[in-house]
Amino acid sequence: MKYKSQAVAKLYFTAAIGLFVGQILFGLIMGLQYVAGDFLFPEIPFNVARMVHTNLLIVWLLFGFMGSAYYLVPEESERELFSPMLAKLMFWVFLVAGALTILGYLLVPYATLADITMNDLLPTMGREFLEQPTITKLGIVVVALAFLYNIGMTILTGRKTVINLVLITGLIGLAVFFLFSFYNPDNLVMDKYFWWWVVHLWVEGVWELILGAILAFVLIKITGVDREIIEKWLYIIIAMTLITGIIGTGHHFFWIGTPDYWQWLGSVFSAMEPIPFFMMTLFAFNMVNKRRREHPNKAATLWALGTAVMAFLGAGVWGFLHTLAPVNYYTHGTQITAAHGHMAFYGAYVMVVLTMISYAMPIMRGNKANNERAQVLEMWSFWFMTVSMVFITLFLTGAGIMQVYLQRYSDAPIAFMAAQDKIAIFYWMREIAGLVFLVGLVLYVMSFFVKPGVKVNA
Amino acid sequence: MDKTAHSSSDIKTASQAALLSLLNLTLLPIIAFSALLWIYNKTQPGTIARYHAELGIKTNLFAAIALFLVSALMIAFGGFDSAWTWVYVISYFTIVHTTFIIFAVWALVRSWSGEKLNKLM
Repeated sequence: MKYKSQAVAKLYFTAAIGLFVGQILFGLIMGLQYVAGDFLFPEIPFNVARMVHTNLLIVWLLFGFMGSAYYLVPEESERELFSPMLAKLMFWVFLVAGALTILGYLLVPYATLADITMNDLLPTMGREFLEQPTITKLGIVVVALAFLYNIGMTILTGRKTVINLVLITGLIGLAVFFLFSFYNPDNLVMDKYFWWWVVHLWVEGVWELILGAILAFVLIKITGVDREIIEKWLYIIIAMTLITGIIGTGHHFFWIGTPDYWQWLGSVFSAMEPIPFFMMTLFAFNMVNKRRREHPNKAATLWALGTAVMAFLGAGVWGFLHTLAPVNYYTHGTQITAAHGHMAFYGAYVMVVLTMISYAMPIMRGNKANNERAQVLEMWSFWFMTVSMVFITLFLTGAGIMQVYLQRYSDAPIAFMAAQDKIAIFYWMREIAGLVFLVGLVLYVMSFFVKPGVKVNA
Repeated sequence: MDKTAHSSSDIKTASQAALLSLLNLTLLPIIAFSALLWIYNKTQPGTIARYHAELGIKTNLFAAIALFLVSALMIAFGGFDSAWTWVYVISYFTIVHTTFIIFAVWALVRSWSGEKLNKLM
Protein backbone atom coordinates (compact mmCIF):
# COMPACT_ATOMS: atom_id res chain seq x y z
CA MET A 1 0.00 0.00 0.00
CA LYS A 2 1.58 3.27 -1.13
CA TYR A 3 -0.27 5.58 1.26
CA LYS A 4 -1.31 4.84 4.83
CA SER A 5 -4.64 6.62 4.48
CA GLN A 6 -5.78 4.18 1.78
CA ALA A 7 -6.47 1.81 4.67
CA VAL A 8 -9.83 3.51 5.38
CA ALA A 9 -11.13 1.63 2.34
CA LYS A 10 -10.93 -1.58 4.38
CA LEU A 11 -13.74 -0.40 6.67
CA TYR A 12 -15.95 0.40 3.69
CA PHE A 13 -15.22 -2.88 1.93
CA THR A 14 -15.93 -4.90 5.06
CA ALA A 15 -19.30 -3.20 5.54
CA ALA A 16 -20.08 -3.62 1.84
CA ILE A 17 -19.53 -7.38 2.00
CA GLY A 18 -21.61 -7.69 5.16
CA LEU A 19 -24.52 -5.80 3.61
CA PHE A 20 -24.14 -7.85 0.40
CA VAL A 21 -24.75 -11.01 2.44
CA GLY A 22 -27.88 -9.37 3.92
CA GLN A 23 -29.10 -8.38 0.46
CA ILE A 24 -28.83 -11.94 -0.82
CA LEU A 25 -30.59 -13.41 2.23
CA PHE A 26 -33.54 -11.05 1.72
CA GLY A 27 -33.50 -11.86 -1.99
CA LEU A 28 -33.88 -15.53 -1.14
CA ILE A 29 -36.71 -14.79 1.31
CA MET A 30 -38.50 -12.76 -1.34
CA GLY A 31 -37.81 -15.34 -4.04
CA LEU A 32 -39.54 -17.94 -1.87
CA GLN A 33 -42.45 -15.59 -1.21
CA TYR A 34 -43.07 -15.50 -4.98
CA VAL A 35 -44.14 -19.15 -4.74
CA ALA A 36 -45.12 -19.45 -1.06
CA GLY A 37 -46.76 -16.11 -0.37
CA ASP A 38 -47.21 -16.70 3.37
CA PHE A 39 -43.56 -17.49 4.03
CA LEU A 40 -42.45 -15.37 7.04
CA PHE A 41 -45.73 -13.44 6.95
CA PRO A 42 -46.58 -11.23 8.81
CA GLU A 43 -43.04 -10.82 10.24
CA ILE A 44 -41.45 -9.99 6.89
CA PRO A 45 -44.10 -9.19 4.26
CA PHE A 46 -43.11 -9.31 0.59
CA ASN A 47 -43.07 -5.52 0.18
CA VAL A 48 -40.67 -5.19 3.12
CA ALA A 49 -38.39 -8.00 1.90
CA ARG A 50 -38.26 -6.36 -1.52
CA MET A 51 -37.49 -2.95 -0.06
CA VAL A 52 -34.69 -4.36 2.12
CA HIS A 53 -33.28 -6.38 -0.82
CA THR A 54 -33.08 -3.38 -3.16
CA ASN A 55 -32.07 -0.79 -0.55
CA LEU A 56 -29.29 -3.00 0.79
CA LEU A 57 -28.02 -3.38 -2.77
CA ILE A 58 -27.85 0.37 -3.25
CA VAL A 59 -26.27 1.01 0.14
CA TRP A 60 -23.59 -1.68 -0.15
CA LEU A 61 -22.70 -0.57 -3.66
CA LEU A 62 -22.34 2.99 -2.35
CA PHE A 63 -20.06 1.65 0.40
CA GLY A 64 -18.14 -0.19 -2.33
CA PHE A 65 -17.82 2.92 -4.50
CA MET A 66 -16.71 5.04 -1.56
CA GLY A 67 -14.19 2.42 -0.45
CA SER A 68 -12.89 2.17 -4.00
CA ALA A 69 -12.52 5.94 -4.20
CA TYR A 70 -10.71 6.11 -0.86
CA TYR A 71 -8.28 3.45 -2.06
CA LEU A 72 -7.83 4.67 -5.61
CA VAL A 73 -7.72 8.46 -5.26
CA PRO A 74 -4.67 8.77 -2.96
CA GLU A 75 -2.68 6.44 -5.22
CA GLU A 76 -3.69 8.32 -8.36
CA SER A 77 -3.21 11.72 -6.71
CA GLU A 78 0.13 10.65 -5.24
CA ARG A 79 -0.67 12.00 -1.80
CA GLU A 80 -2.37 10.96 1.43
CA LEU A 81 -6.13 11.31 1.68
CA PHE A 82 -7.12 14.87 2.63
CA SER A 83 -8.82 13.73 5.86
CA PRO A 84 -8.79 10.05 6.86
CA MET A 85 -10.59 11.05 10.08
CA LEU A 86 -13.52 12.52 8.13
CA ALA A 87 -13.67 9.35 6.01
CA LYS A 88 -13.87 7.20 9.16
CA LEU A 89 -16.46 9.46 10.78
CA MET A 90 -18.66 9.41 7.68
CA PHE A 91 -18.34 5.65 7.51
CA TRP A 92 -19.91 5.28 10.94
CA VAL A 93 -22.57 7.91 10.22
CA PHE A 94 -23.55 6.12 7.00
CA LEU A 95 -23.46 2.68 8.56
CA VAL A 96 -25.57 3.67 11.58
CA ALA A 97 -28.07 5.61 9.41
CA GLY A 98 -28.30 2.69 6.99
CA ALA A 99 -28.75 0.12 9.76
CA LEU A 100 -31.43 2.21 11.50
CA THR A 101 -33.30 2.61 8.22
CA ILE A 102 -33.27 -1.13 7.53
CA LEU A 103 -34.36 -1.83 11.12
CA GLY A 104 -37.13 0.72 10.64
CA TYR A 105 -38.36 -1.15 7.54
CA LEU A 106 -38.31 -4.43 9.46
CA LEU A 107 -39.65 -3.40 12.85
CA VAL A 108 -42.48 -0.96 12.19
CA PRO A 109 -45.10 -0.65 9.46
CA TYR A 110 -43.93 1.60 6.63
CA ALA A 111 -46.67 4.18 7.32
CA THR A 112 -45.58 4.37 10.97
CA LEU A 113 -41.98 4.81 9.86
CA ALA A 114 -43.14 7.74 7.70
CA ASP A 115 -44.94 9.24 10.73
CA ILE A 116 -42.12 8.90 13.23
CA THR A 117 -39.55 10.27 10.78
CA MET A 118 -41.82 13.25 10.03
CA ASN A 119 -42.16 12.54 6.34
CA ASP A 120 -45.06 15.05 6.28
CA LEU A 121 -42.62 17.95 6.56
CA LEU A 122 -40.98 17.06 3.25
CA PRO A 123 -42.69 14.00 1.73
CA THR A 124 -40.20 11.91 -0.23
CA MET A 125 -41.06 8.34 0.83
CA GLY A 126 -43.08 5.64 -0.90
CA ARG A 127 -41.26 5.43 -4.22
CA GLU A 128 -39.42 2.34 -5.45
CA PHE A 129 -35.72 2.32 -4.50
CA LEU A 130 -36.17 5.72 -2.82
CA GLU A 131 -38.18 4.39 0.10
CA GLN A 132 -35.74 5.78 2.68
CA PRO A 133 -37.22 8.22 5.21
CA THR A 134 -36.51 11.87 4.34
CA ILE A 135 -34.18 12.16 7.31
CA THR A 136 -32.09 9.26 5.97
CA LYS A 137 -32.00 10.92 2.56
CA LEU A 138 -30.71 14.09 4.22
CA GLY A 139 -28.10 11.95 5.97
CA ILE A 140 -27.05 10.48 2.62
CA VAL A 141 -26.61 14.02 1.27
CA VAL A 142 -24.43 15.00 4.24
CA VAL A 143 -22.30 11.85 3.86
CA ALA A 144 -22.04 12.41 0.09
CA LEU A 145 -20.99 16.04 0.51
CA ALA A 146 -18.38 15.20 3.14
CA PHE A 147 -17.12 12.36 0.93
CA LEU A 148 -16.91 14.60 -2.15
CA TYR A 149 -15.12 17.29 -0.13
CA ASN A 150 -12.58 14.76 1.10
CA ILE A 151 -12.01 13.16 -2.29
CA GLY A 152 -12.20 16.49 -4.14
CA MET A 153 -9.57 18.14 -1.91
CA THR A 154 -7.29 15.14 -2.32
CA ILE A 155 -7.54 15.37 -6.10
CA LEU A 156 -7.27 19.16 -6.22
CA THR A 157 -4.09 19.20 -4.17
CA GLY A 158 -2.54 16.19 -5.86
CA ARG A 159 -1.78 14.75 -9.28
CA LYS A 160 -4.70 14.98 -11.69
CA THR A 161 -5.21 11.89 -13.81
CA VAL A 162 -7.94 10.91 -16.24
CA ILE A 163 -9.03 8.15 -13.87
CA ASN A 164 -9.34 10.59 -10.95
CA LEU A 165 -11.26 13.10 -13.00
CA VAL A 166 -13.65 10.56 -14.51
CA LEU A 167 -14.23 9.11 -11.05
CA ILE A 168 -14.94 12.47 -9.41
CA THR A 169 -17.26 13.43 -12.31
CA GLY A 170 -19.21 10.23 -11.75
CA LEU A 171 -19.32 10.75 -7.98
CA ILE A 172 -20.47 14.38 -8.30
CA GLY A 173 -23.14 13.21 -10.75
CA LEU A 174 -24.21 10.56 -8.25
CA ALA A 175 -24.69 13.21 -5.55
CA VAL A 176 -26.38 15.75 -7.84
CA PHE A 177 -28.90 13.34 -9.34
CA PHE A 178 -29.79 12.02 -5.89
CA LEU A 179 -31.16 15.50 -5.13
CA PHE A 180 -34.09 14.72 -7.45
CA SER A 181 -35.25 12.23 -4.82
CA PHE A 182 -36.38 15.27 -2.81
CA TYR A 183 -38.59 16.46 -5.67
CA ASN A 184 -41.90 14.67 -5.33
CA PRO A 185 -44.57 16.34 -7.46
CA ASP A 186 -48.25 15.45 -6.99
CA ASN A 187 -48.69 14.73 -10.69
CA LEU A 188 -47.90 11.02 -11.07
CA VAL A 189 -46.42 11.40 -14.56
CA MET A 190 -44.10 14.16 -13.40
CA ASP A 191 -43.24 12.12 -10.34
CA LYS A 192 -42.18 9.10 -12.43
CA TYR A 193 -40.44 11.37 -14.95
CA PHE A 194 -38.10 12.87 -12.36
CA TRP A 195 -37.84 9.64 -10.39
CA TRP A 196 -35.99 8.24 -13.42
CA TRP A 197 -33.58 11.15 -13.23
CA VAL A 198 -32.27 9.52 -10.08
CA VAL A 199 -32.62 5.87 -10.99
CA HIS A 200 -31.71 5.86 -14.71
CA LEU A 201 -29.16 8.66 -14.66
CA TRP A 202 -27.43 6.84 -11.84
CA VAL A 203 -27.20 3.34 -13.27
CA GLU A 204 -27.09 4.13 -16.98
CA GLY A 205 -25.22 7.40 -16.63
CA VAL A 206 -22.91 8.52 -13.86
CA TRP A 207 -22.38 5.10 -12.25
CA GLU A 208 -20.91 3.92 -15.54
CA LEU A 209 -18.25 6.61 -15.17
CA ILE A 210 -17.41 5.24 -11.74
CA LEU A 211 -17.35 1.72 -13.20
CA GLY A 212 -15.04 2.80 -16.03
CA ALA A 213 -12.64 4.58 -13.68
CA ILE A 214 -12.39 1.66 -11.22
CA LEU A 215 -11.94 -0.88 -14.01
CA ALA A 216 -9.27 1.27 -15.70
CA PHE A 217 -7.39 1.66 -12.40
CA VAL A 218 -7.35 -2.07 -11.70
CA LEU A 219 -6.36 -2.88 -15.30
CA ILE A 220 -3.42 -0.47 -15.16
CA LYS A 221 -2.24 -2.15 -11.96
CA ILE A 222 -2.64 -5.76 -13.01
CA THR A 223 -1.60 -5.54 -16.65
CA GLY A 224 1.13 -2.88 -16.58
CA VAL A 225 -0.19 -1.50 -19.87
CA ASP A 226 0.69 2.19 -20.46
CA ARG A 227 -1.63 4.58 -18.69
CA GLU A 228 -1.98 6.63 -21.91
CA ILE A 229 -3.51 3.70 -23.79
CA ILE A 230 -5.98 2.89 -21.02
CA GLU A 231 -6.93 6.56 -20.61
CA LYS A 232 -7.74 6.92 -24.32
CA TRP A 233 -10.07 3.94 -24.08
CA LEU A 234 -11.66 5.39 -20.97
CA TYR A 235 -12.36 8.71 -22.72
CA ILE A 236 -14.12 6.97 -25.62
CA ILE A 237 -16.11 4.70 -23.32
CA ILE A 238 -17.40 7.50 -21.10
CA ALA A 239 -18.18 9.68 -24.12
CA MET A 240 -20.32 6.88 -25.57
CA THR A 241 -21.91 6.29 -22.16
CA LEU A 242 -23.07 9.88 -21.90
CA ILE A 243 -24.05 10.26 -25.57
CA THR A 244 -26.30 7.20 -25.42
CA GLY A 245 -27.28 7.11 -21.76
CA ILE A 246 -28.60 10.61 -21.15
CA ILE A 247 -31.25 10.71 -23.88
CA GLY A 248 -31.56 6.95 -23.48
CA THR A 249 -33.51 7.84 -20.30
CA GLY A 250 -36.38 8.04 -22.77
CA HIS A 251 -36.80 4.25 -22.76
CA HIS A 252 -38.36 4.62 -19.31
CA PHE A 253 -40.79 7.24 -20.54
CA PHE A 254 -42.78 4.87 -22.80
CA TRP A 255 -46.44 4.42 -21.77
CA ILE A 256 -46.30 6.56 -18.61
CA GLY A 257 -48.04 9.65 -19.97
CA THR A 258 -45.08 11.50 -21.51
CA PRO A 259 -45.13 12.88 -25.08
CA ASP A 260 -44.91 10.38 -27.97
CA TYR A 261 -41.55 11.65 -29.22
CA TRP A 262 -39.92 9.83 -26.31
CA GLN A 263 -40.72 6.56 -28.07
CA TRP A 264 -38.39 7.51 -30.92
CA LEU A 265 -35.75 9.20 -28.80
CA GLY A 266 -35.80 6.45 -26.19
CA SER A 267 -35.65 3.67 -28.78
CA VAL A 268 -32.87 5.13 -30.90
CA PHE A 269 -30.55 6.29 -28.13
CA SER A 270 -31.04 3.35 -25.83
CA ALA A 271 -30.52 0.93 -28.72
CA MET A 272 -26.99 2.39 -28.76
CA GLU A 273 -26.50 1.93 -25.02
CA PRO A 274 -24.83 -1.50 -25.44
CA ILE A 275 -21.98 0.23 -27.35
CA PRO A 276 -20.04 1.50 -24.30
CA PHE A 277 -20.43 -1.90 -22.63
CA PHE A 278 -19.27 -3.63 -25.79
CA MET A 279 -16.26 -1.29 -25.88
CA MET A 280 -15.57 -2.09 -22.24
CA THR A 281 -15.34 -5.80 -23.12
CA LEU A 282 -13.02 -5.02 -26.03
CA PHE A 283 -10.99 -2.76 -23.76
CA ALA A 284 -10.61 -5.29 -20.93
CA PHE A 285 -9.76 -8.16 -23.30
CA ASN A 286 -7.26 -5.98 -25.15
CA MET A 287 -5.51 -4.81 -22.00
CA VAL A 288 -5.24 -8.33 -20.57
CA ASN A 289 -3.95 -9.58 -23.94
CA LYS A 290 -1.34 -6.81 -24.07
CA ARG A 291 -0.29 -7.24 -20.45
CA ARG A 292 3.33 -6.60 -19.73
CA ARG A 293 3.47 -8.40 -16.44
CA GLU A 294 2.02 -11.49 -14.80
CA HIS A 295 0.37 -10.07 -11.72
CA PRO A 296 0.15 -12.66 -8.93
CA ASN A 297 -3.48 -11.67 -8.24
CA LYS A 298 -5.21 -13.94 -10.79
CA ALA A 299 -8.52 -13.58 -8.99
CA ALA A 300 -8.61 -9.81 -9.53
CA THR A 301 -7.88 -10.32 -13.25
CA LEU A 302 -10.75 -12.80 -13.45
CA TRP A 303 -13.13 -10.36 -11.74
CA ALA A 304 -12.05 -7.55 -14.07
CA LEU A 305 -12.65 -9.62 -17.21
CA GLY A 306 -15.88 -10.94 -15.73
CA THR A 307 -17.10 -7.40 -15.07
CA ALA A 308 -16.61 -6.42 -18.70
CA VAL A 309 -18.32 -9.51 -20.09
CA MET A 310 -21.21 -9.65 -17.65
CA ALA A 311 -21.88 -5.90 -17.86
CA PHE A 312 -22.12 -6.24 -21.64
CA LEU A 313 -24.41 -9.22 -21.27
CA GLY A 314 -26.65 -7.88 -18.50
CA ALA A 315 -26.74 -4.16 -19.13
CA GLY A 316 -26.09 -4.21 -22.87
CA VAL A 317 -27.71 -7.29 -24.38
CA TRP A 318 -30.52 -7.82 -21.87
CA GLY A 319 -31.24 -4.08 -21.92
CA PHE A 320 -31.44 -4.05 -25.71
CA LEU A 321 -33.78 -7.04 -25.59
CA HIS A 322 -36.71 -4.92 -24.43
CA THR A 323 -35.66 -1.36 -25.12
CA LEU A 324 -37.33 -0.68 -28.48
CA ALA A 325 -40.76 0.91 -27.98
CA PRO A 326 -42.73 -1.67 -30.05
CA VAL A 327 -41.19 -4.51 -28.00
CA ASN A 328 -41.50 -2.63 -24.73
CA TYR A 329 -45.19 -2.15 -25.44
CA TYR A 330 -45.53 -5.83 -24.48
CA THR A 331 -42.67 -6.27 -22.04
CA HIS A 332 -42.99 -3.10 -19.91
CA GLY A 333 -42.80 -3.97 -16.21
CA THR A 334 -42.71 -7.75 -16.68
CA GLN A 335 -40.19 -10.28 -15.37
CA ILE A 336 -38.02 -9.42 -18.40
CA THR A 337 -37.23 -6.16 -16.61
CA ALA A 338 -36.34 -8.14 -13.48
CA ALA A 339 -34.05 -10.40 -15.56
CA HIS A 340 -32.26 -7.37 -17.01
CA GLY A 341 -32.05 -5.67 -13.61
CA HIS A 342 -30.47 -8.68 -11.92
CA MET A 343 -27.76 -9.33 -14.49
CA ALA A 344 -27.03 -5.67 -15.16
CA PHE A 345 -26.55 -4.80 -11.49
CA TYR A 346 -24.48 -7.90 -10.89
CA GLY A 347 -22.39 -7.62 -14.06
CA ALA A 348 -21.72 -3.91 -13.97
CA TYR A 349 -21.68 -2.81 -10.35
CA VAL A 350 -21.45 -5.80 -8.02
CA MET A 351 -18.60 -7.26 -10.04
CA VAL A 352 -16.63 -4.03 -10.37
CA VAL A 353 -16.77 -3.50 -6.59
CA LEU A 354 -15.67 -7.11 -6.06
CA THR A 355 -12.88 -6.52 -8.61
CA MET A 356 -11.62 -3.60 -6.58
CA ILE A 357 -11.95 -5.48 -3.31
CA SER A 358 -10.14 -8.45 -4.82
CA TYR A 359 -7.28 -6.22 -5.93
CA ALA A 360 -7.05 -3.88 -2.94
CA MET A 361 -7.91 -6.04 0.08
CA PRO A 362 -4.79 -8.28 -0.06
CA ILE A 363 -2.61 -5.17 -0.40
CA MET A 364 -4.29 -3.55 2.60
CA ARG A 365 -3.66 -6.77 4.52
CA GLY A 366 0.04 -6.61 3.70
CA ASN A 367 0.35 -8.87 0.62
CA LYS A 368 0.50 -8.18 -3.10
CA ALA A 369 -2.05 -10.94 -3.61
CA ASN A 370 -3.84 -13.53 -1.55
CA ASN A 371 -2.23 -16.91 -1.10
CA GLU A 372 -2.93 -19.48 -3.80
CA ARG A 373 -5.53 -21.43 -1.83
CA ALA A 374 -7.49 -18.28 -1.05
CA GLN A 375 -7.38 -17.25 -4.69
CA VAL A 376 -8.59 -20.65 -5.85
CA LEU A 377 -11.53 -20.42 -3.44
CA GLU A 378 -12.25 -16.86 -4.58
CA MET A 379 -12.23 -17.96 -8.21
CA TRP A 380 -14.63 -20.78 -7.37
CA SER A 381 -16.89 -18.19 -5.75
CA PHE A 382 -16.65 -16.13 -8.94
CA TRP A 383 -17.90 -19.04 -11.03
CA PHE A 384 -20.62 -20.05 -8.57
CA MET A 385 -22.01 -16.52 -8.37
CA THR A 386 -21.61 -15.68 -12.04
CA VAL A 387 -23.02 -18.90 -13.46
CA SER A 388 -25.94 -18.87 -11.01
CA MET A 389 -26.66 -15.26 -11.95
CA VAL A 390 -26.77 -16.29 -15.62
CA PHE A 391 -29.34 -18.93 -14.67
CA ILE A 392 -31.33 -16.51 -12.48
CA THR A 393 -31.47 -14.21 -15.49
CA LEU A 394 -32.45 -17.00 -17.89
CA PHE A 395 -35.23 -18.23 -15.57
CA LEU A 396 -36.58 -14.71 -15.12
CA THR A 397 -36.38 -14.18 -18.87
CA GLY A 398 -38.37 -17.37 -19.39
CA ALA A 399 -40.89 -16.20 -16.80
CA GLY A 400 -41.11 -12.83 -18.54
CA ILE A 401 -41.63 -14.26 -22.02
CA MET A 402 -44.34 -16.57 -20.72
CA GLN A 403 -45.93 -13.70 -18.79
CA VAL A 404 -45.99 -11.47 -21.88
CA TYR A 405 -47.50 -14.25 -23.96
CA LEU A 406 -50.20 -15.25 -21.49
CA GLN A 407 -51.07 -11.84 -20.16
CA ARG A 408 -50.58 -9.48 -23.08
CA TYR A 409 -50.06 -11.24 -26.42
CA SER A 410 -52.36 -14.24 -26.66
CA ASP A 411 -55.83 -14.07 -28.21
CA ALA A 412 -57.34 -14.80 -24.80
CA PRO A 413 -55.19 -12.85 -22.31
CA ILE A 414 -55.37 -13.92 -18.67
CA ALA A 415 -55.13 -11.78 -15.52
CA PHE A 416 -51.84 -10.91 -13.80
CA MET A 417 -52.22 -13.29 -10.85
CA ALA A 418 -53.45 -16.13 -13.08
CA ALA A 419 -50.33 -15.66 -15.22
CA GLN A 420 -48.16 -15.66 -12.09
CA ASP A 421 -49.54 -19.08 -11.16
CA LYS A 422 -48.62 -20.44 -14.58
CA ILE A 423 -45.00 -19.26 -14.32
CA ALA A 424 -44.35 -20.54 -10.78
CA ILE A 425 -41.97 -23.20 -12.13
CA PHE A 426 -39.60 -20.44 -13.27
CA TYR A 427 -39.70 -18.87 -9.80
CA TRP A 428 -38.82 -22.20 -8.20
CA MET A 429 -35.85 -22.61 -10.54
CA ARG A 430 -34.79 -19.02 -9.89
CA GLU A 431 -34.85 -19.75 -6.15
CA ILE A 432 -32.60 -22.79 -6.60
CA ALA A 433 -30.19 -20.71 -8.68
CA GLY A 434 -30.34 -18.10 -5.91
CA LEU A 435 -29.28 -20.72 -3.36
CA VAL A 436 -26.30 -21.59 -5.55
CA PHE A 437 -25.48 -17.88 -5.62
CA LEU A 438 -25.52 -17.89 -1.81
CA VAL A 439 -23.09 -20.83 -1.80
CA GLY A 440 -20.80 -18.76 -4.04
CA LEU A 441 -21.09 -15.81 -1.69
CA VAL A 442 -20.27 -17.96 1.34
CA LEU A 443 -17.18 -19.26 -0.51
CA TYR A 444 -16.27 -15.65 -1.28
CA VAL A 445 -16.44 -14.66 2.39
CA MET A 446 -14.51 -17.80 3.38
CA SER A 447 -11.73 -16.89 0.93
CA PHE A 448 -10.75 -14.00 3.22
CA PHE A 449 -9.92 -16.42 6.01
CA VAL A 450 -7.98 -19.10 4.10
CA LYS A 451 -4.43 -19.55 5.30
CA PRO A 452 -1.66 -20.66 2.92
CA GLY A 453 -1.19 -24.41 2.67
CA VAL A 454 1.89 -26.07 4.11
CA LYS A 455 4.13 -27.54 1.42
CA VAL A 456 5.15 -31.10 2.22
CA ASN A 457 8.51 -32.19 0.82
CA ALA A 458 8.56 -35.72 -0.51
CA MET B 1 3.28 -19.09 -34.42
CA ASP B 2 5.43 -16.25 -33.09
CA LYS B 3 3.84 -12.86 -33.68
CA THR B 4 7.16 -11.25 -34.58
CA ALA B 5 7.28 -13.48 -37.65
CA HIS B 6 4.30 -11.73 -39.25
CA SER B 7 4.49 -8.72 -41.49
CA SER B 8 2.47 -5.67 -40.55
CA SER B 9 0.34 -6.05 -43.69
CA ASP B 10 -0.44 -9.61 -42.68
CA ILE B 11 -1.51 -8.47 -39.20
CA LYS B 12 -3.61 -5.73 -40.79
CA THR B 13 -5.40 -8.25 -43.00
CA ALA B 14 -5.88 -10.57 -40.03
CA SER B 15 -7.43 -7.68 -38.07
CA GLN B 16 -9.73 -6.85 -40.98
CA ALA B 17 -10.85 -10.46 -41.19
CA ALA B 18 -11.52 -10.65 -37.45
CA LEU B 19 -13.42 -7.36 -37.56
CA LEU B 20 -15.57 -8.59 -40.45
CA SER B 21 -16.31 -11.75 -38.51
CA LEU B 22 -17.52 -9.62 -35.60
CA LEU B 23 -19.51 -7.34 -37.90
CA ASN B 24 -21.24 -10.30 -39.50
CA LEU B 25 -22.36 -11.38 -36.04
CA THR B 26 -23.61 -7.91 -35.12
CA LEU B 27 -24.29 -4.97 -37.43
CA LEU B 28 -23.71 -6.18 -41.00
CA PRO B 29 -24.78 -9.80 -41.46
CA ILE B 30 -24.19 -11.32 -44.93
CA ILE B 31 -22.46 -8.16 -46.25
CA ALA B 32 -19.59 -8.58 -43.80
CA PHE B 33 -19.45 -12.31 -44.49
CA SER B 34 -19.13 -11.67 -48.24
CA ALA B 35 -16.26 -9.30 -47.54
CA LEU B 36 -14.70 -11.92 -45.25
CA LEU B 37 -14.77 -14.48 -48.09
CA TRP B 38 -13.16 -11.92 -50.38
CA ILE B 39 -10.38 -11.31 -47.84
CA TYR B 40 -9.89 -15.08 -47.43
CA ASN B 41 -9.20 -15.37 -51.15
CA LYS B 42 -6.48 -12.73 -50.89
CA THR B 43 -4.60 -14.50 -48.07
CA GLN B 44 -1.76 -17.01 -48.35
CA PRO B 45 -1.81 -20.39 -46.58
CA GLY B 46 0.15 -20.49 -43.33
CA THR B 47 -0.15 -16.77 -42.60
CA ILE B 48 -1.84 -15.18 -39.61
CA ALA B 49 -4.22 -13.46 -42.03
CA ARG B 50 -5.35 -16.82 -43.41
CA TYR B 51 -5.70 -18.15 -39.86
CA HIS B 52 -8.05 -15.33 -38.78
CA ALA B 53 -9.98 -15.38 -42.06
CA GLU B 54 -10.56 -19.11 -41.66
CA LEU B 55 -11.43 -18.72 -38.01
CA GLY B 56 -13.95 -15.99 -38.89
CA ILE B 57 -15.58 -18.07 -41.60
CA LYS B 58 -15.81 -21.15 -39.38
CA THR B 59 -17.12 -19.12 -36.43
CA ASN B 60 -19.84 -17.54 -38.53
CA LEU B 61 -20.88 -20.75 -40.25
CA PHE B 62 -21.08 -22.49 -36.91
CA ALA B 63 -23.00 -19.51 -35.47
CA ALA B 64 -25.45 -19.61 -38.37
CA ILE B 65 -26.14 -23.28 -37.72
CA ALA B 66 -26.30 -22.87 -33.94
CA LEU B 67 -28.54 -19.84 -34.13
CA PHE B 68 -30.81 -20.24 -37.14
CA LEU B 69 -30.98 -23.98 -37.68
CA VAL B 70 -31.41 -24.85 -34.01
CA SER B 71 -33.94 -22.03 -33.50
CA ALA B 72 -35.85 -23.12 -36.61
CA LEU B 73 -35.93 -26.70 -35.30
CA MET B 74 -37.21 -25.47 -31.94
CA ILE B 75 -40.02 -23.60 -33.69
CA ALA B 76 -40.77 -26.52 -36.01
CA PHE B 77 -41.00 -29.05 -33.16
CA GLY B 78 -42.40 -26.72 -30.50
CA GLY B 79 -45.02 -25.01 -32.64
CA PHE B 80 -45.19 -21.35 -33.64
CA ASP B 81 -48.16 -20.62 -31.36
CA SER B 82 -46.73 -22.14 -28.20
CA ALA B 83 -45.51 -19.82 -25.45
CA TRP B 84 -42.92 -22.43 -24.41
CA THR B 85 -41.37 -22.38 -27.89
CA TRP B 86 -40.67 -18.66 -27.55
CA VAL B 87 -39.32 -19.09 -24.02
CA TYR B 88 -36.72 -21.51 -25.41
CA VAL B 89 -36.03 -19.71 -28.69
CA ILE B 90 -35.57 -16.19 -27.29
CA SER B 91 -33.48 -17.30 -24.28
CA TYR B 92 -31.38 -19.67 -26.38
CA PHE B 93 -30.84 -17.22 -29.24
CA THR B 94 -29.85 -14.36 -26.95
CA ILE B 95 -27.34 -16.26 -24.84
CA VAL B 96 -25.77 -18.21 -27.73
CA HIS B 97 -25.56 -15.14 -29.96
CA THR B 98 -23.82 -13.20 -27.20
CA THR B 99 -21.39 -16.06 -26.62
CA PHE B 100 -20.37 -15.96 -30.29
CA ILE B 101 -19.95 -12.18 -30.10
CA ILE B 102 -17.69 -12.45 -27.04
CA PHE B 103 -15.66 -15.15 -28.80
CA ALA B 104 -15.31 -12.91 -31.88
CA VAL B 105 -14.20 -10.00 -29.68
CA TRP B 106 -11.42 -12.16 -28.22
CA ALA B 107 -10.40 -13.26 -31.73
CA LEU B 108 -10.28 -9.59 -32.80
CA VAL B 109 -8.07 -8.66 -29.87
CA ARG B 110 -5.71 -11.55 -30.66
CA SER B 111 -5.57 -10.55 -34.34
CA TRP B 112 -4.57 -6.98 -33.38
CA SER B 113 -1.43 -8.36 -31.80
CA GLY B 114 -0.85 -10.83 -34.64
CA GLU B 115 -1.55 -13.89 -32.53
CA LYS B 116 -3.63 -17.02 -32.78
CA LEU B 117 -6.31 -17.78 -30.25
CA ASN B 118 -4.85 -18.65 -26.93
CA LYS B 119 -5.95 -19.07 -23.39
CA LEU B 120 -7.12 -15.85 -21.76
CA MET B 121 -5.09 -15.83 -18.55
